[in-house]
Amino acid sequence: MDGSFPIRQILVVLVAIPVLYLSFAVYQTGNFWIALSILIIVCLGALIFLSESGYTYRYLFPGLLGFGLFVIFPIAYMVFLSFTKYSSKHLLSFDRVLVLFQQETLPVGNVSYKYNLLAQGNDQYILYLEDEKNPAKRFASEPFELKAGEQPNGHQEPVKLGALPPGTQIKGTVLGMAQVAREKLFIPMRSRQFAMPDATLVVLEGLQRFAPRKRAWTLNADGSLTSQKDGTVIRPDFKLGYFVDSKGEKAGIGFRTFSGLENYVGILTDPRIQGPFFRIFLWTVGFSALSVALTFSVGMLLAVILEWKELNFRSAYRTLLILPYAVPAVLSILIFKGLFNQEFGAVNEFLKSVFGFAPEWETNPWGARAMILLVNVWLGYPYMMLICTGMLQSIPSGIYEASAIDGSNPVRDFFGITLPLVLPPLIPILVSSFAFNFNNFNLIYLLTAGGPKMVGGGIAGETDLLVNYTFNIAFRDSGTNYGLASAIATLLFLIVGFLAWINLKLSGENAKL
Amino acid sequence: MTARRKLLVRKAMAHGFLVCFLILILVPFIMVISASFRQGNFAPSRLIPDKVSLDHWKYVFGIPYQEVVNPATGETRLIKPTTPPLFWFWNSIKVSFLASAGIILLSGSAAYAFARLRFRFRSITLNSLLILQMFPMVLSLVAFYVILDFTGQYLRWMGLNTHTGLIMIYLGGISNYIWMIKGYFETIPPSMEESARIDGASRWQTFTRILIPISLPIFAVVFILSFVSYISEYPVASVVLQSGDNWTLAVGANSFLYEQEKLWGRFAALAVLSGLPITVVFLMCQKFVIGGLTSGGVKE
Repeated sequence: MDGSFPIRQILVVLVAIPVLYLSFAVYQTGNFWIALSILIIVCLGALIFLSESGYTYRYLFPGLLGFGLFVIFPIAYMVFLSFTKYSSKHLLSFDRVLVLFQQETLPVGNVSYKYNLLAQGNDQYILYLEDEKNPAKRFASEPFELKAGEQPNGHQEPVKLGALPPGTQIKGTVLGMAQVAREKLFIPMRSRQFAMPDATLVVLEGLQRFAPRKRAWTLNADGSLTSQKDGTVIRPDFKLGYFVDSKGEKAGIGFRTFSGLENYVGILTDPRIQGPFFRIFLWTVGFSALSVALTFSVGMLLAVILEWKELNFRSAYRTLLILPYAVPAVLSILIFKGLFNQEFGAVNEFLKSVFGFAPEWETNPWGARAMILLVNVWLGYPYMMLICTGMLQSIPSGIYEASAIDGSNPVRDFFGITLPLVLPPLIPILVSSFAFNFNNFNLIYLLTAGGPKMVGGGIAGETDLLVNYTFNIAFRDSGTNYGLASAIATLLFLIVGFLAWINLKLSGENAKL
Repeated sequence: MTARRKLLVRKAMAHGFLVCFLILILVPFIMVISASFRQGNFAPSRLIPDKVSLDHWKYVFGIPYQEVVNPATGETRLIKPTTPPLFWFWNSIKVSFLASAGIILLSGSAAYAFARLRFRFRSITLNSLLILQMFPMVLSLVAFYVILDFTGQYLRWMGLNTHTGLIMIYLGGISNYIWMIKGYFETIPPSMEESARIDGASRWQTFTRILIPISLPIFAVVFILSFVSYISEYPVASVVLQSGDNWTLAVGANSFLYEQEKLWGRFAALAVLSGLPITVVFLMCQKFVIGGLTSGGVKE
């Protein structure tokens, strides 16, 4: 390698330069720590790929980097969120909420102004105001920036307005109200404040006019806010995640804050969360256990039949039997959603015409659960069948011959010889199948979406698995609660991670991996 | 009863059972095919459509057609999808193909290090990979959103609502494949690589010229399994991809069914169109897949 064309070095430089530039760009927008992390990763990568001592890690670096960013970081982030109050009621950061308080204004007096916006190009505008009762009083602002449709972040200084002497004209294209509305300029305008020459503030009222206002709150040196309306003093309560006054009344909207173990305690003690949580937990365990048991039984049965050497068409059967494994699961699940449709689906049409009854697959919790299990067996047995086939083929046939001499039958052979032989090495696969079903989000989400609703369970559904329930808590519009969802996710991870750990121990002993 | 008769009866019973079972397996597929050719949007419920129409297939391919709005007056309207659903299938193929190729590169090289090289924290890294991967991907969505929102501010082509962003996320799911490939590498005796080393080959050369060619079957398995799992991935794709022309098959297919008016016919046509090629390819490769599944413990 030495003395040859330095292709590796060139590649490292080619990759490193754009990433270094990205790090610089991130730094410029004020995200120091993220920029630093990118910088460290680039340096580490360069070190590994350029120095001889980093040789082993060249094979690992790309994979572990992806794993770190998209598996470990999300987990760490979730665990972090689980110790915070972060929900639809506590959505914004403390700084942002403080800015909102500072921007809040109260109407004063009864003057109002007509306005025009004069475009200067490059997102720069001048605001022109004219007193509605006294057209001689005219004002014009200095040029300022508006980004159509965008709500600016953070606190902005008010734009200064100057009195306009009679007869003066302002440059720029005049935008009428209709145009302002159409180009969504009113969105950034509404959060913009303008200061009159005498320092009173004017802001957009509705779409039509500007009116003078004063700030509703003043910030005190100790971090508390004083109301300009009635003199109440409110200060942030970081435990509650709200600003509160001296009587403990909440004011304004909540902010994100650390809450310690509150979310975890809530799962165990708050009856609104705890009730559904334990029911869902039981169903999740039951669903996973039954899914494993049923798919394994069906798969094993078929594998045993197909291992019978004297049966014809075995390979044709096998190919057709693995069809459910070959078709993308998302399509199969949606197909079953149609087949099990309570009123028009094929399953109920068939049952009604032959047996005269139509189970409630959608509205009855047990009907829905039965349907889910049926569909999951349909989806899952081919995998078990393939695994069992492999296991059965590894059993030396001599064992059966010995038992045939003793006058055995196939059923006794199976339970007496086959099962005890194949079960121990299959245990890791059964455990990982259990863990897979424990988090089988897709099946439930696409088939029943958790329905029917749990009575008195809020957003919990009777067929929700824990992972679906968590997803609902985090993402369903009504009750968004990232903090609580993260706490449940962390618990879920502990359970499944424990299963994986057991599995490692088991497979280590069985297969010496 | 003679032994021969007994055998015949048993065979008949086995065939009977298998045929009944196959009917249960195949009927749903036949019904979907029939629903795709059936006029109107009905849930799959018939083996043979009563009124045959190609409208759903035209819709899936993006060919405009006339739909009867009012049967009494014969009034029709022109139907043309804004995004032909065929496009979603193409998006899925693209995303899954690139993600699986990336998975092969990342997990293959990492598996080599775990199988052939000795370094500190080797076994603990290997075990943590497996345990950490158990964290369900759905629950990482908040973090995925934060990451892609952030990268999108600097590199638009890697942010939310881009296929590159989605592929990046998918590349995180490598640990099961690392385990599979590592298991396979370990079944190959290292003697050949060692003698090549003595003849002056570098490690990289023994990896790319000796180990990879021998291990092609396991790479095929990993490719197929990851391809199929990404075709079926729904939750992450549904959050990351927001606009209809970017959707993947899973998101698009479900979009026919979550509206008030469920469009079963269109869904069925899309399902047949996209499910068929994937199924056929999977069945053609089944020898590889079965071999790979039974050689080491693998997740579904």
